[in-house]
Amino acid sequence: MGQDMLSTLLSAPNVETWAFYLLTTLSICLAIGVLVDRVVIRSGFILIGVFGTISGIFLLLSAQFLALAQIMIYAVGITLMVVIALMLTNPRLEREQLIVYNDDSLPPLAKLFASCKRNLNLWVAVLSFVTLYAALIGENHWPLSDQAVSQDAVQTLGEALVTNYSIPFEFASVLLLAALMGAIMLAKGEPKHKVEDGDLTIVDETKKQENNLALQR
Amino acid sequence: MFSNGDEIFKISRLTIVWLAGIFTIVWMVCWGLGIALPMLLTSQLGDKAALTNEILRAATPVIAILVFIPINAMFMVLIERRALALWTVRKGPNRVGPDGNFQTAADAVKLLLKEDITPTGADAVMHTFAPILFFAPSVFGAVPLLAAVTNNHPLFHVLNLPTGIFFVLAAGALPVVALVMAGWASNNKYSLVGGLRSAAQAISYEIPLVLSLITVCLMAGTLDLVKITEQQAGGILNWNLLGGGALTGLNNALAGGGAKALATSYFMGPISYVCAGLLVISLIISFWLYLTGACAEINRIPFDLPEAESELVSGYNTEYSGMKFAIFFLAEFTNLFVVSSITTVMFLGGGDNPIPPYILNNIPGIPQMVAAIRDSYFCSTLHIINPETFFATLWVIAKVYGLVIFAVLIRGTLPRFRIDQLMAFGWKRLIPLSLIVFIIVVFAREFVICHG
Repeated sequence: MGQDMLSTLLSAPNVETWAFYLLTTLSICLAIGVLVDRVVIRSGFILIGVFGTISGIFLLLSAQFLALAQIMIYAVGITLMVVIALMLTNPRLEREQLIVYNDDSLPPLAKLFASCKRNLNLWVAVLSFVTLYAALIGENHWPLSDQAVSQDAVQTLGEALVTNYSIPFEFASVLLLAALMGAIMLAKGEPKHKVEDGDLTIVDETKKQENNLALQR
Repeated sequence: MFSNGDEIFKISRLTIVWLAGIFTIVWMVCWGLGIALPMLLTSQLGDKAALTNEILRAATPVIAILVFIPINAMFMVLIERRALALWTVRKGPNRVGPDGNFQTAADAVKLLLKEDITPTGADAVMHTFAPILFFAPSVFGAVPLLAAVTNNHPLFHVLNLPTGIFFVLAAGALPVVALVMAGWASNNKYSLVGGLRSAAQAISYEIPLVLSLITVCLMAGTLDLVKITEQQAGGILNWNLLGGGALTGLNNALAGGGAKALATSYFMGPISYVCAGLLVISLIISFWLYLTGACAEINRIPFDLPEAESELVSGYNTEYSGMKFAIFFLAEFTNLFVVSSITTVMFLGGGDNPIPPYILNNIPGIPQMVAAIRDSYFCSTLHIINPETFFATLWVIAKVYGLVIFAVLIRGTLPRFRIDQLMAFGWKRLIPLSLIVFIIVVFAREFVICHG
């Protein structure tokens, strides 16, 4: 099996195939890096790298416009996300706390539920991966067109967005609008002024001691 | 009349000599790699040299840009300091070399020899990576412009992308990431604030910038830079600055089409004339919107909040020294040049002569001069001078450096914004204005035949 894969790889017909493997490897490595890196800001910057490599894959598929849109939207968008992460989190004060769950006393079924609840993100990820994989592999019903790929798909894309796909397009706009309004509502929420004096002095102490903890970690 | 006529003469002489030097060197490199060497190899080796020639031709534009960037930045720093000195009535650099003209060369050597310091607690990898990420887009972002500014010279033909202007904009969005990265990785509060400011500023001012360019693309009907330049050929009335081709009908009428040409282009009569007027006003506003947005995008002076010396020591590059600082410095000046080139291509007709051909060809001597150049040994056999490219490039150089000098004048004139003024100006003035201009153009262009 491994031999076969290696021989297919080595007998890859052209540069594009090689470039595809290179870009996918790079993007998977960077994606793992995003998950593994404990510094929020740094993983944000690595995420930009992931999207950069994905835009490289778009370029290989001769979707120039999509590749550039990917760079333009995600480079700026993730920078904003990083900035927000910088402003909302305080990496110099928060030390990673090892959370110990003691649900030994629970019955087995409840224990299972508790673990599912804790690892909800994991299950959502697994579920979406399985769904996507099934959709990609299960039925081979992707419409194939024998038209030549035009060099700039801008016109085709624009026409498709206002004719065939106008409802999904509008739906996405409405969703974004709702998200914007939600963000404004959240941002306008009343701030909590409930810091006790004792806590504040402790925070100041830790600030002095652990200056720059996040960077040295 | 001019009390400082002497200084003005010195600056003009400096500009002309340096520019002639820069572009001769760059063109000789291009010519040597892309034309002379392949010709030589073909004559010696025959068909075996085909692959080598392909590689040489493909490498030419990149090497040309890499040769061009450092000497251009050196020139721009010098001219900026001298021009600022002229406008603020000071003495500029005047110690190193004749008239202080070797000052920037000395500065460059100093910067390269300085120790490269990474501060304690800094994220070393990102601290190193930030200047690279800042500099790289200004190199590969400039690439699609080359075909447009040289009137689609065969050597640079490959670089023309069908999504040209979008590529340039995407490359222009990347430096923001580098600034935030530099600010965060330096482990310095001033740097961090500088980085955050640059993110806020770039994102706010990118919207009017992109909207103004979209207005031009809408008038042109394409994203291709070479096509946009070609549409504007034929005199100042065809330029996108003046209505994005709305005055083409007037131009045709002046060229000899008479009332018939006017009736073809402005087919709705008075409504069309009003719309053409609206288009002219809108595109002029767009031009200024672009210049303002670009100034903010590349952190030039009324908008240099990210490195405001009076508040933030030096902003995002406080902790940088030596080579890394030199790269930041180089990239800033290259960005100014790239932005001026984009303005030239999108609004000022690229390499187009402002005097329309129906006047130019009637001036005695000029057609004969062009024909003589075309027939000469340099052009027909050695391909050193190509009249189409040569005159186009001269106009591009004049326009681009005109805009650069204008940016220096702005720097010498306007004070720095405060951060709240900057944000209010961007969000409350520029973005609504650019949206209004965009909508006016969308409707007005239906009543005029543009570029026709």
